[in-house]
Formats: sequence, C-alpha cells, structure tokens
Amino acid sequence: MNALRTSRDIRLSGGYSEYEIDTGRDIELTFSAEEDCDVFIRIISGQNIKLRTYTAAGVKATFLFWNETAEKLELDESHEVMRDADLHLAYCEANRADTKRNTWVALREEGARARVSSAALVMSDKHFDVDVVSYKPHTYGLMDNYSVVLEGGHYYMNAIGKIVKGAYGSESHQTSRSLSFDSQQRSEIIPTLLIDENDVQASHAMTVGRVDEDVLYYMMSRGLTIAQCTQLISTGYLLPIAATIDNEDLQKKLREELEEKIERLCSM
Amino acid sequence: MKSLVINDLHVSVEGKEILKGIDLTVNEKEIHALMGPNGNGKSTLLAAIMGHPKYEVTQGSIFYDGQDVLAMSVDERSRAGLFLAMQYPQEIPGVTNSDFLRAAMNVRRESPVPLFTFIKAIEKTIKDLEMKEDLAHRFLNEGFSGGEKKRNEIVQMEMLKPTLSMLDEVDSGLDVDALRIVARAIMNMHEENGMSLIVVSHYERFYELIPPQFTHVLIDGRIVLSGDAELAARIDREGYDWIYREYDVQPAAEADSQRRAVSIGTCAANPQVRGRNI
Repeated sequence: MNALRTSRDIRLSGGYSEYEIDTGRDIELTFSAEEDCDVFIRIISGQNIKLRTYTAAGVKATFLFWNETAEKLELDESHEVMRDADLHLAYCEANRADTKRNTWVALREEGARARVSSAALVMSDKHFDVDVVSYKPHTYGLMDNYSVVLEGGHYYMNAIGKIVKGAYGSESHQTSRSLSFDSQQRSEIIPTLLIDENDVQASHAMTVGRVDEDVLYYMMSRGLTIAQCTQLISTGYLLPIAATIDNEDLQKKLREELEEKIERLCSM
Repeated sequence: MKSLVINDLHVSVEGKEILKGIDLTVNEKEIHALMGPNGNGKSTLLAAIMGHPKYEVTQGSIFYDGQDVLAMSVDERSRAGLFLAMQYPQEIPGVTNSDFLRAAMNVRRESPVPLFTFIKAIEKTIKDLEMKEDLAHRFLNEGFSGGEKKRNEIVQMEMLKPTLSMLDEVDSGLDVDALRIVARAIMNMHEENGMSLIVVSHYERFYELIPPQFTHVLIDGRIVLSGDAELAARIDREGYDWIYREYDVQPAAEADSQRRAVSIGTCAANPQVRGRNI
C-alpha cells in the first residue's frame, strides 16, 4: 500500500498496485498507465482531490476507487484514453459523508474504450456528474450506476454520453438504477445522450423506484425483518462492484468490508 | 397443541369486502382442503393469515397457538410457525437462494446455523425435491420456470420447518412427476413433524397425494359447506353447481386481482443540455 499525502505524478508499473489517499489537504494526482494495470485506490481522507489519468495507446487499465472518508469529499477528475486503449473506472462508496464528484472521460483517439461503473449506498448527499465524450471515430463509452438510497440519503446522478461530429462508428451506452425503501428518500437520475453524428449506436436505461411491496412481503413471509430484507437486497445490488478487479484476495476483502458496512447501515 | 383458530373473519381488498365471516379451526397434524371457484376468497384467506399488507381485516380474529396473529408483523407470523407457499412466488435478482435461506433460518435461532450444517441440509433438500444442484447459488426464483418456482417454495418449507403450512395452488404448473415429488416432501414433513396443512387446489389428484381429513368449500367469502375427503372427490366429479343449488349460494364474479404493474421506468432526455458544449 502506497500512501499519498501530497500532490504527485505517478507512472504506473504493470500489474496490480494499491494506493491510499490520506491527507487533510487538497491534493492533485496524476496517474499514467503505459502498461496494462489494475489499480486499487482507497480514499481515507482528503477534502478536494484533483485527479487525472492517462491511458496510453493499446493499454488496458482498471481503477477501483473505494471512498471511505469521514468528511465531505470533492473530486474533480479528468481521464484521457488514447488509441485502442481500454479504461475501466469503478467507484464504490458506502460511507456517511457527502461526496461531490465530477468525472470527465475523453475518448481522445480512434478505438479508445471506457467503462465507468459506480455503486453507492446513500445516507447523505451524493452528487455525481459523469461525462463520457467520444472525440474520434470507433470509440466506445459505457456507464453503469447502481445506488441504494437509505433514510436521509439524497442521490443525484447526471450521466452524459456525448459523441461529437465526426466520431462516426462510435457507441455510447448507459444504465442507471436507484433503489429506495420508502418514500422519504430522494433520488435523481438525469440520463443524457448528446449525439452530433449519424452513424453511431447509443442507448440509455434507468429505473428509480422503491422495492416492490410484494417482494418485501415475500421475504418477510419467511421470517426476515425489514432490516434484513434491506440488507440482502442492497448487498445484491452493490456487491458486483467489488469484483471489478480480477484479484481474488482484494475481492474477498472488499466483499467483506461492503457486507459489514451494509449490515451496519441497514440495521440502524 | 398448536391450533389455528379463525373467528368471524372479514377481509377487504381496496375497500371491497372479499371475506364475509370465516370460522375455521385447524389443529396440529390436521390437513384441511380449501376448495371453491376462482375469485371467491381462498387466496385472500391465506394471504390474510400470512399478513399481506393489501388485505385489510375489518372484523374478527385469528389466533395461533394462543397468540393474536393479527397483532403480529408478517415476519413475526413466519417465526411463530406459519408458512405460505405462494401461488406467484417473487423473483428477487441479486439475492441467492442460499443467502436468503440462511438469513431466514438464522432469525429462528439463538446462534447462526453453522455453515457445514446448512450446506448438508440444503443439499438434502435439493435432492428430496429433485432440483438442479446449482439451486443454492442461483438468485431467488430469477429465471425459474413455473414448476421450479413452486418446488422452490417447498425447498424453503423443508428448510424452515413450519408447524402450519398453507399451500396456495402449489400444484398448478407442476407435471405429474413433479407433483409426486412435491407431495411426498410435504407428506414427510406432515408425518415427521406433525405439520398441519391448509391446501388450496382445484385438483383431486393432489388431494389423493395429500389426503385431507376436512374439506371446506368457500363461496362468495363464506365457508358454505364442510365435510371430509369425499367432499373434495365429489366436487372433482360434479363441480360446484350442486352446491349452488342445494345451499342457495351464488359465486362471486371472478375478480381480475392478479394483474399489477411491476417496475417503474422512465425515459428522459434533458432538452436543456442539448446545446451545451463540453
């Protein structure tokens, strides 16, 4: 685990690496991926983080951000994906602090691909703006966002897929799903496709909804309390994010952490 | 002795009275058949006993083992020993059968069921019900065929060991072999644990496999006739017309009660951001 406390430019070596952002100050970080790599970044503390990544031509890079700050976190990110490179950004948060994240992904050269996935257990203000922009032909952008909104939570997801003029043969897809357990919680999803080219494929899907009354009845009729139903359903919704990086030890650890957190939050 | 005692039960759904005064007592180790034309209150009675929030009890009482069932939440009723094998089991993606069952078993115990004990139990149950071996790891009822869903209800019953089970047309959607497998598992629980049963079915074949001591005919929200197993056989042969004539009753018009919207989905493109440069 490499601790990050001050602004740095990091050239990633290939394979798996772990970082921990733990600073009371604002910080600027740049990650350059010149070889295939899997990067796990745990955010312990940090107020205002500026983050850049650069994924070089032909490189496959995966970043998993695990947010567990106790104070409000603001993240401003930009990600550059070059020719035939493949970037996967994954975000997980189940902490009680507010988050404001602005993620901007540029599919900068032909054949670039990016996938943005997120999972959030929401008990505070979670505000996300995500833009994935195709600048060149034959690029591919995909977003999938999952959230479970609990009491006192406000989830806001503004997801924009954009294909500029001239970026023919590109694709932009997105799915956002938000689940809540009663009518007091707030969830807003704004899915947007901005398409300036004809020869493209684009899609979006979203659901915002409460857990079906019949589903809860069915589970409770087997003896589970509402808290246990909430916990099982939330776990099923959010857990897949822990499998983003193909590393068995890491997956096991994250799964346990997330399950423990969900259990604690859902039984409150 | 654990008895279910229902007195003068009136139940409404969305303001419409479906049950109009039901009296029924089910003692330990008894099997009761509940028959009647569709839309006359059989499923409503079972759902009201289990506590579905849509079914409003306006009058009467239900006691089980001396406890006031109507004062309990749905999960408390289950933990008190009641079980309902549903006509339309829910599909719950993301939740595996095994996680669901372990959680449901653990709420009935002081300490969690040891993993090894659980695996042994579920393997035996899967074998008893002749389900596919990967059942435990599949999501609860997701993508199951109609017959698999019904068998999975009985898997849950066998794992949770209720003392009174209600079967709401659990035989519909089962082929002849599956029917025999399911009936055998249910009868084992009845014989070994003394589990009592309220069985809703339209078919004599099922009542041959799960022979009731009592048969009740529910028409327009009332039990108009009770008898023994022969009554179920006669209804199978002759239908309900003779009952309408002899007891001067009319069936309720069949309600279209099972249709409902499932998911909430909308499609939104935000016109305000169309012109925005990024």
